[in-house]
Amino acid sequence: MLDEPIRILIAALICWFNFMIIDLIFKLPERGGVSGATAIAQEVEKGGGKLNGGYMMGNIVSSPDASAGTLLASCGVYCAGLPGGLFAALLVYIGNRICYDPGYAGTTGCITATFIVYGAVQSGWFAASDFIAGMVIAILTIQGLSSVYASRLIARLWKIRCRLLRGCT
Amino acid sequence: MIAIYVCAVIAVYAALRVITERNTMRKLPFLNVVSFAVTGIIALLLPHPITIAAAAAYFVGSTLESNAIASTWSGGIRKP
Amino acid sequence: MVRGYQETMNDIVMVASVLLILIGMTAAIFNRDPFDKLISLSVLIAGVFPFIVERGFLDVAIATALIAPLSTIFTLMVCRRVQV
Repeated sequence: MLDEPIRILIAALICWFNFMIIDLIFKLPERGGVSGATAIAQEVEKGGGKLNGGYMMGNIVSSPDASAGTLLASCGVYCAGLPGGLFAALLVYIGNRICYDPGYAGTTGCITATFIVYGAVQSGWFAASDFIAGMVIAILTIQGLSSVYASRLIARLWKIRCRLLRGCT
Repeated sequence: MIAIYVCAVIAVYAALRVITERNTMRKLPFLNVVSFAVTGIIALLLPHPITIAAAAAYFVGSTLESNAIASTWSGGIRKP
Repeated sequence: MVRGYQETMNDIVMVASVLLILIGMTAAIFNRDPFDKLISLSVLIAGVFPFIVERGFLDVAIATALIAPLSTIFTLMVCRRVQV
């Protein structure tokens, strides 16, 4: 096994890609799911960011999405192995319904993250705790540093996604 | 095991960003980071299967709370 | 309920939780806007959680995690009705 700081940074990259790809596939930056997400997006735009990036940040705040799913999957695998991760997916699904969210981004992100984390732990290269810290670092880069630059990055990725897969307005 | 220290440091950093931000709606993403970090701390403190339920309950509860704050601030919960 | 896995909490985690409580408390006192106060209370309760979990009280943790946001939601509902 490598040193712990390197493992955590690599796990952060893996978690970042997992939740970004799933959220972009499920069209989170397209519109605000609830009125609160739209409010956050408008305030981010007033501060100099892009509206689509603000929509995704607002959706992350308002409802458990793939980022929450990845975090809870890592906690599940850390506490109880593969069944723990799947139990976390069930709890994320219930959380989505409680927050009035009709989508499946959270549950899908949780299931994919469960298999990724379990596979990484079984391969012997990582420990499950690396993914917990990694996911917290990943969400820090999106929500916790600068809403202006993060929303611009998300808007750019959203344009790329719309060109690759069709189906955005 | 430095994973729990990473979560603790990020939690304090995000809490400081919450209180130094002027705009109310822009505080909410930083509060979301605090929730992520504290969920990680809960799971790393006590590796027991029921901890998954405690961490998930805390995270979903805090998400629901942020959602309610944002919806009420913006002037309305969408009527079904 | 479940006795502590780590018998003593790491010092850094304990200091971080106490800092969260203090930061949330001072911000809640000095903020004017009621929404800002609610957000600061959220930070405060986030700092209390590691202490509950560290002692093994997972059932208390689950109950608090479900009750605290509900109390915020009821506060918001009352304030909205008073305004309207």
